Amino acid sequence: MRRELLGLAAASLVAFAAADSRAEDPEKFTIGAILAMSGSGDWYGKVMSAGIELAVEEINAEGGIDGIPLEAVFEDHKSGIAREGVNAINRLINMHDVQAVFSSFSPPTIAIAPIADEQGILVVNGGGVSTAMVGISDNLFHNRSLASDLGRAAVAFADEEGWSRMAQIAWRTDAGESIISEVEPYWEELGGEVVATEWMDQGATNIDTQIAKMRTANPDFLALWLFSPDPGMAMRRAREFGIDVPVVGVEYTADVAEIGGDHMEGYYYTSDYFTPTDDWSQRFQEAYRERYGEDPEFYAANYYEGVYLIAEAIRRARAEGGDYYDGANLARIIREQPTYPSVYGGEMTFQDNGVAQKRVALFQIQDGESEFQRYLDLE
Amino acid sequence: MDLALQLLVNGVITGSHYALLGVGFGIIFATTRIVHFAYGPIFTVAAYMAWYSAAMLGLPIPVALLIAILAAVLLGVGSYVLLYEPFEKRQAPHLVPLIASLGLYIVLENLVGIIFGSGVRVVREFTNGIHFMGPVFFTTIHIWQVVVLVVLGGALAVFLRWTSYGKAVLAMTDNPEMARIIGIDTRKVAILVFAIGSAISAPSAVLILLKDGATTHMGFLAVFMAFVAVIVGGIGSIKGAVIGGFALGMVESLGMLRIPTEWQSSIAFMLLFLVVLLRPQGLFGAAMRR
Repeated sequence: MRRELLGLAAASLVAFAAADSRAEDPEKFTIGAILAMSGSGDWYGKVMSAGIELAVEEINAEGGIDGIPLEAVFEDHKSGIAREGVNAINRLINMHDVQAVFSSFSPPTIAIAPIADEQGILVVNGGGVSTAMVGISDNLFHNRSLASDLGRAAVAFADEEGWSRMAQIAWRTDAGESIISEVEPYWEELGGEVVATEWMDQGATNIDTQIAKMRTANPDFLALWLFSPDPGMAMRRAREFGIDVPVVGVEYTADVAEIGGDHMEGYYYTSDYFTPTDDWSQRFQEAYRERYGEDPEFYAANYYEGVYLIAEAIRRARAEGGDYYDGANLARIIREQPTYPSVYGGEMTFQDNGVAQKRVALFQIQDGESEFQRYLDLE
Repeated sequence: MDLALQLLVNGVITGSHYALLGVGFGIIFATTRIVHFAYGPIFTVAAYMAWYSAAMLGLPIPVALLIAILAAVLLGVGSYVLLYEPFEKRQAPHLVPLIASLGLYIVLENLVGIIFGSGVRVVREFTNGIHFMGPVFFTTIHIWQVVVLVVLGGALAVFLRWTSYGKAVLAMTDNPEMARIIGIDTRKVAILVFAIGSAISAPSAVLILLKDGATTHMGFLAVFMAFVAVIVGGIGSIKGAVIGGFALGMVESLGMLRIPTEWQSSIAFMLLFLVVLLRPQGLFGAAMRR
C-alpha cells in the first residue's frame, strides 16, 4: 500500500512537473516577417512592415499577449526571391525561435511552405496572390484575397457591363500567370473572347510593343493583371497610345496613382477594401497616419490585422493550456476556430483552403479619387 | 501592316534610347576597360536630381537637365578618381574594379532610396504630347529620344574625329599602353571619358523620368541594355554601340510581331548569344581593331 501510494505520488509529481513545463510561457513572443525589404518591390516591404510594427507597438502598449511582450523580426526576400525566403525562415527559426511568420509575394511563400510544415511554423500571407499557394501547407493562411479571385471579380463586372472582347496584359510572374490561368476559362465560360494576351516583366519600363498589339486587337476593354506601380504605367501608355476603351485591373495604390496621373481617370479595379468602417479601423487609420504621415494601404491593413490574428491565436492556444506556443498548434487553432476580428470591419473567416473570406470591392477612379462602387460577391 | 509599322517606329524609338546608353557606357568601357556597372545608378541619380529640381524646386526642365548632367558627371568622375584609379595604380586584376563597380552599384542605389524614398517619382507639370502619322502614333518624349541620340551621337562623333582629345580617346581605345608610350595623358583621358559617358546618361534618364517616372531600380535595365548594346555592336566602336542599341530595340519591338511578348525580356539575351557565337568581337569590333 505504501509502495502504491509512493508510486502514485511520484507519478503525480512527474505529471505535474510535465504539465508545468508544458505550460511555461516564453519571455516574449517573437514573430518573423519575411518581406520585400529591398529590390524592385521594396514599397511593399515598407508598408507591410509599417503595419506590423504599429500592431506590435499597440499590443505591447496594452500589456502584450496575456502580459507577455510581442516582438517582430524582419527578414528580406529581396522582392520575391524564393531562395532568399528559405534562407530567411531558417534564420528566423534557428536564431529567433519563431513559431509564427509573415510572408509576402508568392514565390518565397511557396518556397517556405514545406519548411513551415516540417518545422511546425504558422505562416500568414497578407500580400502574395498566386493561387499556387493554396493547399500547399496546413500551416499556411492568407488574409488577402488571391489574385485569381480579384481577376474573376473584375471580368464578372466586365460581363455585367456587356463587354465581350478582352485584351489582357499580365506580369510574367507566378501572380500574373495564376490570374490568366483562372480568369481566361472563367471569361470564356461567361461567353467572352480573349483577343490579345500580352506579358511584361515586373518593373519593365518599355511596354510600347504590348500596348501596340493590344490596340490592334480592337478590344472592348483592357484587363491589367499587374501590380503596383505597373498598372499606372500601363494605363498611362494605353491612353497615350489612343486606346480609349474601359480598363479594369486588380490594384490601385499611391504609386499607381503617381505614375498614372490623370490617365487613371475611369480605371476600374477590384481589391481588398480598406476604409474605416468601425471604431477599430478608424483608430488604425488615425494611428497609422500619425506615425507614418500617410493613409494606410490595404497591404498595411492586412499585416496589421495579421499581427492581431496571430496574437489572438496565441491567446486562444494559451487558454487551452499545455505546450501551447507551437506554430502547428496555432495553425490548428485557426483551422478549428476560424473566425477573427478584421480591421476591415466585422470579422473574417478562414475557409478550409486557408484563405480568409472577404468580399471583393469594385472601385473606379473619378476626379482623381478612388471611389467605391459596390461589392462583388464571388461564387 | 499597321501593327508592323507601329512596331517598327517603336523599335526605332527604343533603339535610340538603348543606343544612347550604349554610347555612354561604351566610351567608358572601350577607353578604360572598366566594366562600369555603377553607370546604372548614376543614370538613376541623374533622373532623381532632375525630378528634385523640376518637381520639388520648380525649376524649368532644361535647368533640371543641366543639374542632372552635372550630378552624373560628378559621380562618374568621382567613381573613377576615388574608386577605380586606386585599383589601377595598384595594378589590381580586372576582376577587382568589376567587383568594386558592383559594390558601388548597390551603395548608390540604396543611397538613392534613402535620400529620395522608394516610391515612384514623376514630374506632374510635364505633359507628354501625342502625335499621329497615319496609323502610327508616338509621343513628344519619343521624338526627343531620337533627337537626343542624333544630336549627342553626332556631337560625340565630331569630337572624337576632329579634336585632339577625341583622337587621344580613340588612341587609348585602340591600345592604352601604346597611348601612354606616345605621351598621351591617359589619366586625363580616363577622367574625360567618365565625364562624357556619365553626361550622356543624364538626358536619357531625364527622358525616362518624364515618360515613365523615376524609380530607384531604373538603372538596372539601363546598364544592362547598354552593356548588351556594346557587346553586340563591338567593344570600342561608337558606331557599333549605336547599331547594337538599334538592333536590340528592333528585336524587342518588331521581333514581337509574331513572337508572344512573354519572350520579350529573353530576346536581348538571345541576340547577345547569337552575336557572341557567330561574331565574338561584335558587329563592328574587328573593324575597330584594324
